[in-house]
Amino acid sequence: MKTNKLLAFAALCFPLLTVAVDGVNLLKKVDRNLEPESYESYRKLINVEPDGTKKEFVIYSVKKGKDQVATLFLSPTSDKGRTTLRQGDNMWLYIPSVGKPMRITSLQSVTGGVFNNADIMRLDYAVEYDVKAVEETGDTYQLDLKAKTGEVAYDRLKMTVDKKLVLPTQIEAYASSGMLMKTLYFKDIKDFGGGIKRPATVETDSPLYKGYKSVMLYSGLKKKDFPDEVFTQGFMARMEELRK
Amino acid sequence: MNTAFLLSAALLGLAIPASADEFTFDASEFEKKTFEFSGYLEQKEEGLKLRSSSPAYSLAYPGKSVQDHLLRSTTTLELSGKLNLDPVVVDVRAQAFHADDQLASSSDRGTVMEGGVRWSAGPGLTVDVGKRVQRWGKGYAWSPVGFIERPKDASDPQSSREGFVIASAEWTKSLAGPVSAVGLSGFVVPTDGSRLNQDFGAERDLNPAAKLYLLAWDTDIDFLWRGKGARPESFGIDFSRNLTSALEVHGEWARFRDAPRNTASASGVTQQTESDATSWLVGLRYLTQSEVTWIVEYYRNGLGYDAGELDDYYTFLDTALADGAAPMLEEKARRVAQSGYGRSNPGRDYLYLKASVSEPLGWVYGAASLTAMTNLKDRSWQLTPEVSYTGFNNVEIRARAFFLHGASHTEFGEKTASRRVEVYARFFF
Repeated sequence: MKTNKLLAFAALCFPLLTVAVDGVNLLKKVDRNLEPESYESYRKLINVEPDGTKKEFVIYSVKKGKDQVATLFLSPTSDKGRTTLRQGDNMWLYIPSVGKPMRITSLQSVTGGVFNNADIMRLDYAVEYDVKAVEETGDTYQLDLKAKTGEVAYDRLKMTVDKKLVLPTQIEAYASSGMLMKTLYFKDIKDFGGGIKRPATVETDSPLYKGYKSVMLYSGLKKKDFPDEVFTQGFMARMEELRK
Repeated sequence: MNTAFLLSAALLGLAIPASADEFTFDASEFEKKTFEFSGYLEQKEEGLKLRSSSPAYSLAYPGKSVQDHLLRSTTTLELSGKLNLDPVVVDVRAQAFHADDQLASSSDRGTVMEGGVRWSAGPGLTVDVGKRVQRWGKGYAWSPVGFIERPKDASDPQSSREGFVIASAEWTKSLAGPVSAVGLSGFVVPTDGSRLNQDFGAERDLNPAAKLYLLAWDTDIDFLWRGKGARPESFGIDFSRNLTSALEVHGEWARFRDAPRNTASASGVTQQTESDATSWLVGLRYLTQSEVTWIVEYYRNGLGYDAGELDDYYTFLDTALADGAAPMLEEKARRVAQSGYGRSNPGRDYLYLKASVSEPLGWVYGAASLTAMTNLKDRSWQLTPEVSYTGFNNVEIRARAFFLHGASHTEFGEKTASRRVEVYARFFF
């Protein structure tokens, strides 16, 4: 009788355990479907004001492993040559006219507009977030993600994932107070070659910036490995060397 | 959206709402170029309320008529070029300006601020020869460990500076473990006793220097050294660390061996002594929930002058520059001013406080700040409100005002102007 009860209890728990494991694996799969672990890419960031006025930035980005990201601004001319570096929770900004790396924080924005530094130098979601719950609804999964530490830019994410493509379609980002900080919309699935097929457009809006939106367009995304020295402060002034 | 509507909207000056469909991006448009050219043109207008009866006025405008107000107009052109010959890069940055006001006119037809050749032997090794600006230290307003560079202007710490001719090699290695990066750099700043690096020193010397960088336990640490040469031997350390995602703390400590120090008594007796001196700085940067960045720095300038020494100096200037004083005395006053007292911050103890906010009150691409700097010894101070806007493509607009206050014979009470307003527009191309 006791054995039967244990078996029944285990049977009841099994789906929950499966969901927990699946959630982590699902998030890791989302990460890999979005980008290879190490890659280079070009992105255009467009800030759109309520009156339709736009300001555009073009950046070249490289990432290696779990927590190393570097970016180089190619446009506009006034920002050309600026670089940013991220090593885990450490972030620096290098401005050629200032000439030395300065520490910056994830919630600041080097571009202004809705995207902040954490959005521009994003790490894998599975590196920064734990999966708290997974829910299946029709063609999507709903993932409830909680930041692993207080250093992460958003305390909680609600991610909608397309079941078939295993790619996010929408992410809501919340502060620890529960306030909605921004919503990211993933659009325009594109084949980048090399087995990378992902949204080429990410739009975002925020109740903190009413009427404004920012758009991130991807191009030239490809798997590439870099020496570790690329992700050091000494290399920030030399990032242009990576572009061939 | 038909053509007629677009035309009507354009004629009426209406903004066309952006839609996702109109966003396009092709990375091939941004391929690396062998030769790159860029620069900016800056137009600056300044209004100054002068202390026309002060000795500083007599030093700045010798023999000129007394003016209480001054309008100055300055045009600056900066041009940069870069030749990418992988793995070699040749670059140059040059600046020219013309300034006009009611009392004086000055021009510089072109100064190479930086320029040289860099060879990247690999991602972790570079060799560089040329005129370069080294920016050592972690301080925002001051950098006591800036051993091989021209000093920062604390009133405008991010302003462009001219470099020195330097040969350097830098080696960087990324590591696993708590020390995640190490970098070692060696420098030579040659002086020939004549034109080469004339501002660095008047003696013929190689002037070696070195820097060891570590990223250890998430803390940036530099150990810095300048060998004895045209300037005295110095060594120091700096650090910077994010205590939380919103709070950064930094510091610098520098020791100068047998550093020369010039003093002048109230009667004009000058003296040069050599002694060891220590300068240090500690500061923090804090981003509040409401996105206000606070920067606070305390700076102890071991080679600076205390309130009594500054009082003696200004007393001497009062005598030397008074109407009817001997020309020899005026000449001596000029020499004394250039011997150390004339630096932008000649005092011993300073406190710097800056509060800045990006996009205040929803003003996207706008920024506003308020900066206070005080000489703690003589209690004089300077207050600087500032606004800037970068919303127009490749245009930067900045406006600042300076309010200086202090008793007689104090640092900010004796500067040439008691008020200054400046506005500039910088057009990048």
